[in-house]
Amino acid sequence: MPATDIDFERDFAEVVARLRDVPAAAPESLRARVHALGEPEAPPTLRDRVAIVPWRRAVLVTVPVCLAALLSVAAVRGLLSSRPERNVTASAVSGASTTPEKAPPFFAPVPAWDSATTEHGALSSGVGGSGRPAHVDASMRVRVPDLDTLTDRTREAMQIARSLGGYVASVQQSTSAGKPGEADLLLKVPVGHVDTALMRLSALGTVLDQNLSVVDLKQTLDQQRSRIRSLRLQIARLQQALRDPALTADVRLRLQFQLDAARQTLSRLTGSNKATLRQAALSDLSLALTTERAAGAATKDHQGRTERAVRDAARFLAAAGAVALFVLIAVSPLLLIGAAWLYGSRAYRRREERRLLAATPE
Amino acid sequence: MKAVNAVTTSWPRLAVERPAFAAVAEAELDAVHRYLLFLTGDRAVAEDLTGETFEKAFRAWRRFDPRRGSARTWLCQIARTVALDHFRSEERRRRREERFSHGRADVDDGPAVPGELGEALAGLSPAEREVVALRVLLELDGPTAARVLGISRTACSTRLSRALKRLEELMRDARD
Repeated sequence: MPATDIDFERDFAEVVARLRDVPAAAPESLRARVHALGEPEAPPTLRDRVAIVPWRRAVLVTVPVCLAALLSVAAVRGLLSSRPERNVTASAVSGASTTPEKAPPFFAPVPAWDSATTEHGALSSGVGGSGRPAHVDASMRVRVPDLDTLTDRTREAMQIARSLGGYVASVQQSTSAGKPGEADLLLKVPVGHVDTALMRLSALGTVLDQNLSVVDLKQTLDQQRSRIRSLRLQIARLQQALRDPALTADVRLRLQFQLDAARQTLSRLTGSNKATLRQAALSDLSLALTTERAAGAATKDHQGRTERAVRDAARFLAAAGAVALFVLIAVSPLLLIGAAWLYGSRAYRRREERRLLAATPE
Repeated sequence: MKAVNAVTTSWPRLAVERPAFAAVAEAELDAVHRYLLFLTGDRAVAEDLTGETFEKAFRAWRRFDPRRGSARTWLCQIARTVALDHFRSEERRRRREERFSHGRADVDDGPAVPGELGEALAGLSPAEREVVALRVLLELDGPTAARVLGISRTACSTRLSRALKRLEELMRDARD
C-alpha cells in the first residue's frame, strides 16, 4: 500500500461493511437496455486506430525515429560528399571543342581513334597511338615537397623526355629564398609516347592541374598532299608544253612564269607539309614543377575521408537544426497560445467539476 | 469462458485484443450503476445515466485499449463524464426555472440508499460519495481511482479519508 493511501478497510471497518451491504444491483429494465446494445460490428476506422495510440508513446517513438532518420540522412550525405575528389582537370581540343573532365583522361585504355571529331571520350586516350596524325599539346602542374626535390624532379623530367626519344626544348628553374620554387619545362616527346610520358611525369609529385589538347591534322595533311599532287601535275604539264618548239616567244615566257610560280608554291607547300608532319610527330609537354602548396589541394590531400564525412554530416545537421530553430521561432507564438488555451481549458474544466461535485446537500 | 472480440487493428504494434462488449457490459453493469447511484444520489437518474454510459461505451468501444486500463476504469471515466454533463444540464435547467438553489440533483423518489446510511450519504457531497463508491464499492485501487477523478493520489486518499470519517460521524449522529 502506498504511503499516501489509507487503510480504510481497517480504519473504517464498520462503515465499509455497511456500504458494501447496500443492495445496488442494476434493475432488470436497465440490464435489458444494455443487453439490447449487442456487439459493435463496424470495423475500426483510421481515426480509431490513431486514437488508440497514447500520445506519450507516440512521442516517445516518433521523436527518436525522426532523430535517427535525420542522423542517417546526415551520415549518408557525409559519406557521399566525402568521396575522393580529383583536383585534376583535363581538356581536349580539336578545332574549337574543349571539354573539361575531372579524371585525367589520357591514362584510360586506348580505344580506336576513328574520327577527327574529338568527342571527349574518344579523345581521352591513345593520343598518338592511333596512327591518325594529330598535334598533342599537354601541360601539367605538379607539386613537389621542397626545393631539393624540385631540382631532382626537374632532372628526372628531362631524363624522361630523353628516354622516350624526345628532347627538352626549354628549362627555367627559379628557387628564390622565401618564395616557392618553380621549374618550367617544355618537353618535346614523340606522340606515340605521350601517354607514357604523362604517366611518368605525373608520378613526380602531386598533380595539381593538367591539360591536354589534341588537334587533328589529318585533314590539313590531306589538303596539303592533294595540293602538292596537283601542283606537280601542273608543273609536269607546263614542262611538257615548254618542250614544244613551235611556241611563240611570248607564250613560252608566260608558261615559264607559270612554271616558276608553281615550283615556288610547291616548295612552300612541301615545307608546310613537312612542318605539319613534324607537329604530328612530336608533342609539346609543358611541365611546371612547384613547391607551392595549393590551398584547396593541400587541405584536401591531408583531410581524411572520415573527417570530411563528419564535417559534412555536422554541416547538414547544423542546417537542419537551423531550419528547426527557425520553424520553432516562427510557430512558437502559436504553440504558446495553444498551450495556454489547453492549460486554461483544462483548469476551467477541473474547476467546473469541483464546483459541480462539491455541493453539499442541504 | 472468456469471450474475445476479434476486432484488431491491422498494424501489428497496435493490435488490440478486446473482450466482447456484451461480456464486459454484463460484468460491469452493476458496478457502474452503483457508482452512478452514489454519485447522483438518485435511483432514476443513476439508471438513466448508466444506460447512457453503456451506449456511449458501445459507440467508443473500438477505441478501448485494455493495455491502458481495465474496462471498469474506462467505463467509470465515461460514467463520470456523463454524470458531469448531466449535472451541468441540470444546473442550467434549475437556473432557468429558478426552482432550486444549486448544486444538487433532484431527489424525487426518495434516497438512493434506504435507512440511516442513506441519510448519512445524503449529507456528503457528490465528490465525497464518488470517491467512496470508487474505492469502497468498486474496489478500484488508489492510483486508478485518482486517474478516474483526475486528481492526485494524495488528494484522492485525503478525500476518501475525509468522506468516510464524515460518513461515520453522520451515521453516529443519526443513531444517537
